[in-house]
Amino acid sequence: MSEMLTISIDGKECTCKKGEYLYDVAKRNGIFIPTFCRSDAFEDHRACCRICIVEVEEGGRTKVVTSCVYPVERECSVQTRSEKIMEERSVVMALLVHRAPEAPSFKNMVGRMGATETDRLVTLDGEKCILCGLCVQACNALGTGAISTVNRGTEKKIDTPYGKGSDACVGCLSCANVCPTGAIEYSETDTTRTIWNRDFELVRCEECGQVMGTQNSVVFAAADEVVPTMCDSCRKKHLADEMMATYRYV
Amino acid sequence: MTDQEKGERIREIVAAYPADQRHALAALQDMQHAFNFIPEEGLVELAKHLGCPQAQLYSMATFYKALSLTPKGEYIVKICNGTACHLRGSMNLATSLKSELGIDPGQTTEDGLFSVELVNCLGSCALAPVMVVNDTYHNRLRVEQVPGIIDSYRQGGASDE
Repeated sequence: MSEMLTISIDGKECTCKKGEYLYDVAKRNGIFIPTFCRSDAFEDHRACCRICIVEVEEGGRTKVVTSCVYPVERECSVQTRSEKIMEERSVVMALLVHRAPEAPSFKNMVGRMGATETDRLVTLDGEKCILCGLCVQACNALGTGAISTVNRGTEKKIDTPYGKGSDACVGCLSCANVCPTGAIEYSETDTTRTIWNRDFELVRCEECGQVMGTQNSVVFAAADEVVPTMCDSCRKKHLADEMMATYRYV
Repeated sequence: MTDQEKGERIREIVAAYPADQRHALAALQDMQHAFNFIPEEGLVELAKHLGCPQAQLYSMATFYKALSLTPKGEYIVKICNGTACHLRGSMNLATSLKSELGIDPGQTTEDGLFSVELVNCLGSCALAPVMVVNDTYHNRLRVEQVPGIIDSYRQGGASDE
């Protein structure tokens, strides 16, 4: 068993494994640390939105760290809402709000922690993306790898190669679902989903008619197995009925 | 270069590397060198060979200034705009090139002969201001020298003094 440590977060004693991320320890102990670019779907984290900063006091020294990627290595005392942190967070929030003024999730967060007022920053009108890269991570984790960051510096954005519909994309919406700011746009009609400059045919459950995803994503998810024609709940229902028919008299 | 020759050249470049992602940048540089830009077919072929997503290579190709996805001129004129060169008037060189070639940094002349780029430091600060044409360094440059240098390249291959 790995070494256990006791640390203090906002005065509360918390036990954790050595090497565990500070954010996880805080969350488990009911201490809220705000974050945008953190998703529990992945083991490695982006540390990109910088909203999850906290103050760590270790061996008499205090430093500001991003809690989502800060592994607890020794005993320490953590402040998640100290004056310094609140001030710095509100500066980070101001940067994020100027970067992506249209991001719906920011309104709530600004209300909660405030954003430093400044006229030194340019606001990118209509922008929602904070370039955290969660979508790219999701797409790669899935094994499709259809999108990536393109260009660098102020020109940086997320896109498919050449801004064209990508053969690698299956239209599964993983990128849009993981996006913390709702920046990935797509549209759907009764039969088609359009995302990343490409149209995908939607498939419906042959039983209940619910959308199961795009044709490409269903085939991709099935890998070498038989491609399902029913949604999960209908399939279970069928299986249960079959079991009942088989074992009725047991 | 015909499409067939291009395809062959691409396959040659790609086949020269083992199928491992760490060779991606080297292969892309070779393509840049061979074609003066990275053709789409090249990206596709390389992605297939290395077994990595095409998007990843595209990301790389757009990240590095040394790689380009649009055809570059035969002569690539790099003006250093690092601190030393900037202080010694590198922007005047850019203006001079603009009047000589009619293009801004980042563009290519219509005849496909010259591309002008503004780069951040060429590591020759003691020789500032520096302009590099393909692999030839022009040091301690004065604005009035620029037209002569450009002309020498126009007349088909300049001497490397």
